Amino acid sequence: MREFDLVIIGGGPAGISAATTAALYNIKVALLDERSSLGGQIYKRVGPGFSVKNSKQLGNDYLRGEKLIEALTQTSATIILETTVLAIEDSQVVITTASNRYEYIKFKKLLITPGAYDRPVVFPGWTLPGVITAGAAQSLIKTQWVVPGSKIFFAGSGPLALAFPAQLSKLGANIIGIIEAAPRPGLFKSLKIASALNQNFDLIFDAIKYQFHLIKNRIKLRYGRIIIRANGVNKLESITYAKVDKYWRPIPGTEKTVIADTLCLGYGFFPSVELFKLVQCELSYDENRGGTTVKLDQWGATSIPHVFGAGDGTGVSGSYVAILNGKLSAFKILCELNVITEAELLIVSKSTRKAVRQRQKFQSAINSAYSIKPGIYELADENTIICRCESVTLKDLNPVINSTSDVSVVKSYSRCGMGLCQGRNCQRQISALIAKRHDINIGDIPGSTPRFPAKPVLLGQIADDTVLEEKYFIDAD
Amino acid sequence: MQINSYSPFLPGYLDRNENISDIPKETDVAIIGGGLLGTALAYYLAKLGVEVTLLERNDLNREASGTNAGSFHFQIALHQLTKNISGAEEKRLSDEVRLQLDAAILWDNLEKELEADLGVHFTGGFMVAETQEELKVLREKQSIENKAGLETHVLTGDEMRSFAPYLAPDLSGIAYCPREGHANPLLVGPTYAFRAMEMGAKIRTGCEVQKIEIIDSALSRQFKLHTSKGMIGCKRVVNASGAWTAELSMQLGINLPMGLSGLHVNVTEPREFFLKSMVQHIGRRLTLKQTANNTFIIGGGWPSRPEKFPNRYSNYWASAAGNTAVAVRVLPMLKDVRLLRVWSGVWAYTKDFKPILGESVKVPGYHVAMVPTGFTLGPMVAKILAEYMHSPANKNIIPKEFSVDR
Repeated sequence: MREFDLVIIGGGPAGISAATTAALYNIKVALLDERSSLGGQIYKRVGPGFSVKNSKQLGNDYLRGEKLIEALTQTSATIILETTVLAIEDSQVVITTASNRYEYIKFKKLLITPGAYDRPVVFPGWTLPGVITAGAAQSLIKTQWVVPGSKIFFAGSGPLALAFPAQLSKLGANIIGIIEAAPRPGLFKSLKIASALNQNFDLIFDAIKYQFHLIKNRIKLRYGRIIIRANGVNKLESITYAKVDKYWRPIPGTEKTVIADTLCLGYGFFPSVELFKLVQCELSYDENRGGTTVKLDQWGATSIPHVFGAGDGTGVSGSYVAILNGKLSAFKILCELNVITEAELLIVSKSTRKAVRQRQKFQSAINSAYSIKPGIYELADENTIICRCESVTLKDLNPVINSTSDVSVVKSYSRCGMGLCQGRNCQRQISALIAKRHDINIGDIPGSTPRFPAKPVLLGQIADDTVLEEKYFIDAD
Repeated sequence: MQINSYSPFLPGYLDRNENISDIPKETDVAIIGGGLLGTALAYYLAKLGVEVTLLERNDLNREASGTNAGSFHFQIALHQLTKNISGAEEKRLSDEVRLQLDAAILWDNLEKELEADLGVHFTGGFMVAETQEELKVLREKQSIENKAGLETHVLTGDEMRSFAPYLAPDLSGIAYCPREGHANPLLVGPTYAFRAMEMGAKIRTGCEVQKIEIIDSALSRQFKLHTSKGMIGCKRVVNASGAWTAELSMQLGINLPMGLSGLHVNVTEPREFFLKSMVQHIGRRLTLKQTANNTFIIGGGWPSRPEKFPNRYSNYWASAAGNTAVAVRVLPMLKDVRLLRVWSGVWAYTKDFKPILGESVKVPGYHVAMVPTGFTLGPMVAKILAEYMHSPANKNIIPKEFSVDR
């Protein structure tokens, strides 16, 4: 069994920065990632078979990622790619690499940096081919150089609603329109963001660049509008949007239909908390950081000893905060492993802690300016599929939701969340439906019982003839 | 799954359709526990005209009754066997097969009795053997089963391979029992409760029994149940609280010969339907079946990790690894099917695997209903207990070896 002082799950900004920081102190570090290259979503590398001649053309994020990954590869950290974490048990992580049999990896400290998912938004037609998330579009472009569709409409909210279409258009994509659900930022909001600006000029500079690009290319960004329908028979043919009130509920009579072959959705992110749930970390709820988050102290320690978290998977705060938090966790872990003293910890982490505070202030100003409103969960009609794995419509689901507020019961009777995505797509929508029907706060609805595998895995990869029941079964005597 | 057709049977429905702000002050029989046994007992008692109130601390059918795989086990299985089948063993096994046969007849008629679709299907069941020694056991058990009146067949070689071509071709043999099958465990308990209510039983959920008090007068005995929703007086109590049966009985100084074990279950992604019959193993821990949703459910007695109520038992990776290895060995196509999730339920067993059923001699008026193979036998033992409670003079209805005070 391989053993490490620190095992880090997830090779995005937080994981890379933590691994680099810790490995410089000569402890045994392993960094695991599902993909064949590091970088996570934001610094995603080009796919196998592609080569980059001039990385400058790929934008600032690519360059930032390249620098970070390079720094890591100069350390002693072990990088284990194409690896899926299936379970975490005591001080072991159960993984499978490529198509191999499962394997245990032992850790003294565990840092989980799983990142975030695109928020799935359910509305009539959302399952039509041609409707994709911003993350999926980004992956297609970053790894395969494929721009999806020839008439792309972007619907979303948050800073990405500005940045992403601009990036896409720069690469030659035909963006025919952008809608943002939040109202046009007024003076007050802009001041609030500006007041948190201290040291965050790079982000604002990016935003100005994106805005400028959109204006130059005459791409119209409409505020205060939400997607309400995707139309088409077997694929997307057009989309319908409408003006919204302050709860993001569509205002009747304001619908507008636009011909499009691709609808790209970017309504923010939600943290991937599955692994934190599996180790039974205490959770909390923060709609502005994506919903269910994990409770952390200032160093990123969870409620479970030896288990830490950093990055968007612990609450969405962006890559800059992720890098800093990854570093802080690494410092604290070094201290707990007696590599550095308490006093040293406070000194080496001082500037990072200060930077985190500034970044977080800025990020929360942005997040609250674009916070999600309840209307986003109310777009489905009776025949809209809520759980796409099991094809469960709202009509199927209603009698169950009427009879219980227990997510596990809803799951077993409706089969919502029983499919291949393990509930990642529908769980939030179901919680929202329960919250509305039973007048409960969405944050107070407990999720279903956490169970492995964290990702589906072939039985051939986990079946193990060396495990015999005699050793484990409790004898009836 | 057609949800609309049985929405009245969903847990939680009862709360919202009955005035549950309070519990009755008095009742003849109070049942503690709203699982399959409790709800079935409420039904059979109400049908016999006995005044009955069922108290459940959570929603109905949420523990073992709703988390098992819904299989009917009529063949003699691994857990019933000892190393060598002696004469006394043969007698015990014959008795158990007869009980299982009675249960088969009850399940046969249950959808008609309750006028509901319970997903009851008799699809046959396999018991596989890997070694020659295991094949010998299959033949021995077949002879006991056939003598007791349960039809089973043992197939080997080409006959086996053509009857079940999907099973591993190098198995030493298989037993096949045409009567085995399954029902939908999500429906049975709630349907019993619903029909019981129609016949006058009172069902109260979210009502936890905290303390059982005995009040004796010169003429009669009364029980006072202290619950989270107030006090209820009753003449007789039935403890049908599954895994928590022993805990409550301790209050009255009754030490039940039972233990608890968490059971691990695996669920895969769906594949085109082909496996009509459940598959078990005579020498290894395995139950395997393909569900109506085309997924495979793999279990059979691998352990899970105990947690304190209300947390659900958590899973051991080793159980998934070992359990699926047995499954892939028996049904090789499974190696290319993905595991989607696991779950676990608490299994309450008795040390001799026999039910605990009836009235305590030590504490008259206090009844226990607990059965290790709860889904298969639950409805039937509930029916037996109801008949006894309806006419307690008839003491012979309940086999002696089920005694509460044993």
